[in-house]
Amino acid sequence: MTVDLVNFARGPALKAAFIIFFIGVVWRLVNVLLLKHTRDLSEPRRGVAASLLGGLKAIGSRSWPHPEFIPRTGAGEALGYSYHIGLFIVILFFAPHVAFFGSFVGLHWPSLPNSVNTIISVITFTLLLAVLFRRVTHRVLRRLSNFDDYFSWFVVTLVIVTGLMATAHVGGPYPTVLGLHILSFDLLLIWFPLGKLMHAFYLFPTRAIDGYLLTRRGAPS
Amino acid sequence: MSTPAAELHANLAPEESAIASGERLAGAMRGFAREVGALSALRLESCIHCGICAEACHFYIATEDPKYTPILKVEPFKQVFKREASAFAPIYRWLGLKRDVTVAELEEWQHLLYESCNLCGRCSLICPMGIDVAALIEQARRGMFEAGLAPKELYEKAARQKRTGQPEETTEPYREKLLAIGRQFGVSIPLDAPQADVMLTVSRTDIEQYPKAVASLARVMAHLKVPCTFRSDGLIAENYGYYAGSRDWQRDISRRLIDQAIACQAKVLIVPECGHAYSALRWQAAELYGAPLPFKVRHITEYVADALDEGKLELRAADAGATAFHDPCMLVRKAGVMEAPRKIMRALGILPTEMTHHIGFDYCCGGGGGVVDIERAAKLRYRAMENKLREIDDTMARTFLTSCSDCRRTFDDAKRHFDWEKTPQSLLELVADHLQEQIR
Amino acid sequence: MPELDSQPTIGALLDRNGVSRRAFMKYCTAMASVLAMPPLAGRAMAEQLRAAHRPSVIYLSFQECTGCLESLTRSFAPSIESLIFNVISLDYDDTLMAAAGHQAEEARDQAMKANYGKYLLVVDGSVPTGEGGVYNCAAGRTALDILTDCARGAAAIVCVGTCSSFGGIPFANPNPTGARPVSDIIGDKPIINVSGCPPIPEVITGTLLQYVTLGRVPELDAHRRPTVFFGNTIHDRCYRRPFYDRGQFAKTFDDEGARSGWCLYELGCKGPTTYNACATVKWNDGVSFPIETGHPCLGCAEPNFWDAGSFYSPIPTPRWGKAGEVRPAEAAELAIGAAAAGAVIGAGSVLLAKHRTQRLQTPGQDSQQDSPKKEV
Repeated sequence: MTVDLVNFARGPALKAAFIIFFIGVVWRLVNVLLLKHTRDLSEPRRGVAASLLGGLKAIGSRSWPHPEFIPRTGAGEALGYSYHIGLFIVILFFAPHVAFFGSFVGLHWPSLPNSVNTIISVITFTLLLAVLFRRVTHRVLRRLSNFDDYFSWFVVTLVIVTGLMATAHVGGPYPTVLGLHILSFDLLLIWFPLGKLMHAFYLFPTRAIDGYLLTRRGAPS
Repeated sequence: MSTPAAELHANLAPEESAIASGERLAGAMRGFAREVGALSALRLESCIHCGICAEACHFYIATEDPKYTPILKVEPFKQVFKREASAFAPIYRWLGLKRDVTVAELEEWQHLLYESCNLCGRCSLICPMGIDVAALIEQARRGMFEAGLAPKELYEKAARQKRTGQPEETTEPYREKLLAIGRQFGVSIPLDAPQADVMLTVSRTDIEQYPKAVASLARVMAHLKVPCTFRSDGLIAENYGYYAGSRDWQRDISRRLIDQAIACQAKVLIVPECGHAYSALRWQAAELYGAPLPFKVRHITEYVADALDEGKLELRAADAGATAFHDPCMLVRKAGVMEAPRKIMRALGILPTEMTHHIGFDYCCGGGGGVVDIERAAKLRYRAMENKLREIDDTMARTFLTSCSDCRRTFDDAKRHFDWEKTPQSLLELVADHLQEQIR
Repeated sequence: MPELDSQPTIGALLDRNGVSRRAFMKYCTAMASVLAMPPLAGRAMAEQLRAAHRPSVIYLSFQECTGCLESLTRSFAPSIESLIFNVISLDYDDTLMAAAGHQAEEARDQAMKANYGKYLLVVDGSVPTGEGGVYNCAAGRTALDILTDCARGAAAIVCVGTCSSFGGIPFANPNPTGARPVSDIIGDKPIINVSGCPPIPEVITGTLLQYVTLGRVPELDAHRRPTVFFGNTIHDRCYRRPFYDRGQFAKTFDDEGARSGWCLYELGCKGPTTYNACATVKWNDGVSFPIETGHPCLGCAEPNFWDAGSFYSPIPTPRWGKAGEVRPAEAAELAIGAAAAGAVIGAGSVLLAKHRTQRLQTPGQDSQQDSPKKEV
């Protein structure tokens, strides 16, 4: 019940996780980047500037489906985005998180009241459960899903669950549960470059390149 | 009682059937390895298994069978990439975390990659990560081709087209048929001129089934008084190498047209009413050729729209009523020829009734990507087509136009199968029938 | 010193010293309330105490600053005088007792012999074990030796202060004297840790009183601290908690927030992870406690509080920097270093990937020869 676990979690464990995270992320990105590139020698319909703009636009526009697709996919995408938004709010605007992340970058920003964070965390956790349920019951997702999908879900959910447990003083003395919460974040950092959480980085180049190539052709993106 | 193996071999060309299991696997690995690059790697790594691509694919929508999920179609390619060339590939191999692709899997995937995919590109548009899934499927087909698993109809057409320039053997070579069409419709067919500004090509489907479209092409070009020519050694616009998934044959087939265009010093090469022919030439040929093409590639609708814009062409109003335009995927959604058909329709005094909010989002006709050529795929194709027919009916348009001979062929086939009351009309034929003599 | 049983009872002593029964009852009720006992416990406590004989208490001081004893002498309830004269028989305390030298040591030995198995051993200060324990000696004997000896006949051991409970300040990095808490040295006696640097006076006296009244060791937490005093964190009882919940923090010691009495979390308060009674019992007879004066809690009742990071960095601050808390420059350096390593490894894996894909494209090469093929 001491702070020892907290000290370990935010000490050597965090350092190791931090190192693995950066090594892993850059490793994966570089591996993709340095494979062979093919130059597009075809006559473009739109110029380089317009295509670049199209690429940048796609980074944002692909976040939401085109109206033609919304009937079939709107609900699923909304579910996915909602828990992302919930996570971002709590991660960035809960006072202890502001202290944690702020100390890495030497910055400080205002936090939201605890009641707001608690409500959003609970909603986000519920959404995560819904998302898991969907993945396990939806015929396409059942067919597609592998260990990576389930473990990535688990790693993210563990962080939010231990966080809620710590705030609610459930599951053990507060310093111990807090230590587990920070350790679960360390686990998230370690798993990040190994699985599909990398999509947080990939989405930028993939959307941008797709937008660029399609705009270059004058095709819808 | 046919076994799966017998069924499979019945669907392969004899040369493909003869390939031994080990060779098949090595071929697949060879084909996939060749397609691994920064762009395909990025796309394969980006997939988050969200399953949204399935919601755009009309094969999934029609059957609700998850095996038709687009990204799942490239699973063998993805598996090989992850095992051989991804960041952690050595660790995957050492710990046995990613297994080798097997011949059984490749054989199972033939149906998914060739018969249940039109390469229509809807999945690419819906993917929230921005993955061009259709492009990955094209690349996966290349692995399948090397494995000797391309469907026989596509393989044989590709082989013959690479060898002779014609996808099918005909009693009369197409050159002769072309001239015959000219005589039949009373239009001159410029052929094998040593030099011309514009080189014309012809769609094999048009020659076989819609000769009026061929005549319309010649008529419009004659009306425009542009120095143009067909070339006997580079006649056919379609590219079965592209459909079959053979990189080399696709290149060789495109090469034929490129060489002929260079030979007659053409500044523009015109692709007639065909979708993938345009895509293959405009967007893929240069890379396979290894250099930028020394001429422009234009679809006939683009050429006509440009002529309208430049005041070189005038059209009489057509009495068509509410008219919808079916976007050939390979022309519109994937290749960007979005406005040209609409411009032409408006010049004909027709107000286009759009099927979707945005141009290029409607369903594929169901025949693209070579699917209409594969006999075995017909049953599935009809199921998927129900979506398209409903989409056209929902516009309440009386007629509908399109600008791709294979789409036309597919719709005519559906008309017979479903006893559907609509008939696809050719935009080019409509143009040719309403040419206005310009008063100088 | 004669055996205690022939000594007068506590009740007799109280009467002799002119403490009325009424006054004593009031005192017991107050104490029972502090100990969170049920309402009628006060009466039971008074009766039990009156009939009891004062237990013998041996108080040993080792590697300490005397702060714990100073705290004890500031107790208001019971006052130290009342405690010494009425409730316990403090037979040895080298700071407070009048005797010195051999007489003092003899007095202790006699008390231990006379009350063998029944006396309460109270210890403050950590026990050095380095170099055979020479860093703390009295009367030519090491603290280690004295402790081991005195513990043998004790009924229980009460460790007063964080030093004897957990090692405290001498235990902090690099611990040059090899300081250890009492519980690391004595394993066969019940131990009560009353931690704090120093502990609250009433917590010390209340624990002793609880022991005398109950005649046994009270309910303890995982660190052997009485739960009645150490059962909640400062954070859970802090009067500034509403400000924490609303997100109103003092950012410096002199800003608007500090002057308005806002939460001190961002100034490094360790309240959330510290178990003690400071927020409820408070100090100086309930006048105030550190947070109320505007200073963040140091976490002094917890093990390793000195090595747990800067007093002025908030709890979540990452702690793998050279000087403890991570500076942004350090974090950036590590990130860039790791990224560079990742880039190099990535370049390596790409070369491998290119090599493998090249081999696969060469006809006749069977790449499956060197990897296990798992047929499905």
